[in-house]
Amino acid sequence: MSDLGLYSYLWLIPALPLAAAAVTGLLGPRVLRRHSHWPCILAAAASCAASLVVLLAVYHGIGRGEEEGAAARPHEIVAYYSWIKVGALDAGFALRADALSAVMAVTVTFISMLIAIYSAGYMHDDEGYARFFAEVALFIFSMTMLVLGDNFALLYLGWEGVGLCSYLLIGFWFAKPSAADAARKAFLVTRLGDMGLLIGILLLWVGFGHHLDYPHVFAHVQQAHQAGTLNQGLLTAACLLLLCGAVGKSAQFPLHVWLPDAMEGPSPVSALIHAATMVTAGVYLIARCAPLFELAPDAQIVVACLGGFTAIFAAVIALTQTDLKRLLAYSTLSQLGYMFLAVGCGIITKERSLVAFGVIAAVFHLFTHAFFKALLFLSAGSVMHAMGNVIDMRRFSGLRRVLPITHWTFLCGALSLAGFPLLSGFWSKDAILDVAWEAGHDADAYRMIYLLLWVVGIITAGLTAFYTFRAYFLTFWGEERIPPEAFAHHHGHAAHGQTPHLEAPPVMTVPLMILAVCAVGIGFVVGPMTHWFGHFLTRTPGLLIVEPELNWSMMGLSSLIALGGIGLAWLMYVRQPDLAGRFANAVPGLYQLSLNKFHIDELYDTFILKPLAGFTAFIRIFDLHVLDGLVDLIGHVPRMIGFRFRPVQNGLVQFYALAMVLGLTVFLIALVTRL
Amino acid sequence: MPPIPLHHYLIVGAILFALGLIGFLARRNFIIMFLCVEMMLQGVTINLVAFARYRGNLQGQVFTLFILTVAACEAAIALALILILFRRRRSLDVSLWQDLREPGEEATMDEEPLPPARRQPAMPQLTPSGLEPEHRPEESHV
Repeated sequence: MSDLGLYSYLWLIPALPLAAAAVTGLLGPRVLRRHSHWPCILAAAASCAASLVVLLAVYHGIGRGEEEGAAARPHEIVAYYSWIKVGALDAGFALRADALSAVMAVTVTFISMLIAIYSAGYMHDDEGYARFFAEVALFIFSMTMLVLGDNFALLYLGWEGVGLCSYLLIGFWFAKPSAADAARKAFLVTRLGDMGLLIGILLLWVGFGHHLDYPHVFAHVQQAHQAGTLNQGLLTAACLLLLCGAVGKSAQFPLHVWLPDAMEGPSPVSALIHAATMVTAGVYLIARCAPLFELAPDAQIVVACLGGFTAIFAAVIALTQTDLKRLLAYSTLSQLGYMFLAVGCGIITKERSLVAFGVIAAVFHLFTHAFFKALLFLSAGSVMHAMGNVIDMRRFSGLRRVLPITHWTFLCGALSLAGFPLLSGFWSKDAILDVAWEAGHDADAYRMIYLLLWVVGIITAGLTAFYTFRAYFLTFWGEERIPPEAFAHHHGHAAHGQTPHLEAPPVMTVPLMILAVCAVGIGFVVGPMTHWFGHFLTRTPGLLIVEPELNWSMMGLSSLIALGGIGLAWLMYVRQPDLAGRFANAVPGLYQLSLNKFHIDELYDTFILKPLAGFTAFIRIFDLHVLDGLVDLIGHVPRMIGFRFRPVQNGLVQFYALAMVLGLTVFLIALVTRL
Repeated sequence: MPPIPLHHYLIVGAILFALGLIGFLARRNFIIMFLCVEMMLQGVTINLVAFARYRGNLQGQVFTLFILTVAACEAAIALALILILFRRRRSLDVSLWQDLREPGEEATMDEEPLPPARRQPAMPQLTPSGLEPEHRPEESHV
């Protein structure tokens, strides 16, 4: 092994949160109590520092490679020990540092750190304070394992770990039936996808040279491709199965139903797990496996179509939702669809390869989305905290004077999500639209579909701007209305006419402000200003080295769309508030469909759950009457024999003695006659 | 006088064993049954001693000593148990304990009942003389 240098800090990134989880879990309820947040915050901060060190090490590697005139793809794989070694199956406990995993690790740990700090304020008088932070720390461990692992087995470990933490944290208030149901739903639905992921991983292992670690799998597939011996059908099947896992975890169309329900969990959890980090694991998986997907164009088009469909589908649902957190959840679905669209558009055409562009666009959007969506969720959490756990936008409005800081931070997040020119979301969304356009322009096959997906992307951009600002205007503009629950623990301020002090404490607003600054500026800093992000990410092993360019006409178009959406929302919810109702009445069918989320839950209930319930009822009857009957029959035989022989036990000593003597006699006679 | 041949001893032992066995199976009195068991044991020991003498070594003799020791211990325990059983039922009849059978089974009754026990002739009693000394009433029931 070469000199590791700065990479030797790699193991600290997952190890520290794991230690924090253990410490908080063991000592939290008894010893740490109200200080239970410290291990989690400190571990997240230290992990973040270690991630930055690793990022800098990779960056340094790029710089050094350029000085030497080589196209460097700096990466380091640190193998700690052999984890599973059974026959040909060899999964080492190895972490990898390269551009993609470094970016992911920094994003995850930085957002986690801010959210852990925010949670210290948000959860301050909750019963399960220590439990919360132990589970969050465990989540950070699992997520960093997921992005740093060097093979599919470690990825799967992290994948299931984050699924478990998601389950635990959605059901954090497990005494509430809706939360318990939502947790179970999330667990089962994502398990459906995980099944596909597992089969996909094993298919890759079986079909492509019995490797589990990324470099060998990718190299094997690449060699087979160049030698012309690649089993195209098998590769497409494996990619589709990996996609199945990604669809479950990232809540794409057929398996999206768990994410809106997951909003039953505490708001910081919605921000951390169900917006910024865990749900992007699917995008990470496909970006990581881009060397496989690029050779399976049929799988690629499925990824793109699924992403595009989810993007517009969820955006249409988000138009009419009245629950602020659910609206944001549908928005997350839609944005994740965007990311899938971007990786799906990374295709190889006759002239050039778009793979690196697709991956860069998707991960760039993942990166900026993590900031602004976490910000939006935390701001929504701050609203919910101030409103006494009321999150229905019909019950409050005009909060911009009551919650001034939250108002500004929410506005920053909303502008960024809507793709307001020059903010973070604008640059990353633009990159995605650009890739979709290029794919539609250059694709050899499925050209019309890619063009259609580009149109879908443009429409979704407009819808995104509209629903985001609908939520913003409904919450912060208009007549000032505050639900009575808000005053439940502010007894002194119930007087009329006086604006009560409902704004969150600094421990919550400072992370909001940091995230707001990032949501506004970070896209510009790492994107068009320095081209740092694309320049860096393209050095991920397995990607072609490309230099992203800006597409000015695309930027103009998406700016117009975003401003149009914002303007329409302003017209309908501020200028003429009755317009929204009239519009809804004009297209009642579509409005009802959107409001009822296209009846997807009901469809699943009718076509999957009900038949399954009928089948289980049949199985139950079969079990009770046929199988149990057989077993009972077998159990009856000894009882019958016992019934026949019971009179022998009559309590007479002489009888027993006689039986013994007779038995002994028979035995002796047998013995003697044998001789 | 010629030595008594081995099979004579063995016949005596077998007779003792058979008598004991028949007694054990036929009698119902605890003590008689116990004595019958002892008799079977002695039948066996006679065999051992006889074989020891026949083979000209002392193994059988030593073994017999052990059997006697064990029989003494056994007697102590058995008599103690019999005493306890007697105190419970005021009788030594083993068939009075047949309720240790499988629950729900019918009790075994004698086809013809035993003849009534003969009354013991009353012992002559002397009239007490002198004053009965005063004693305090019992406090403990142990």
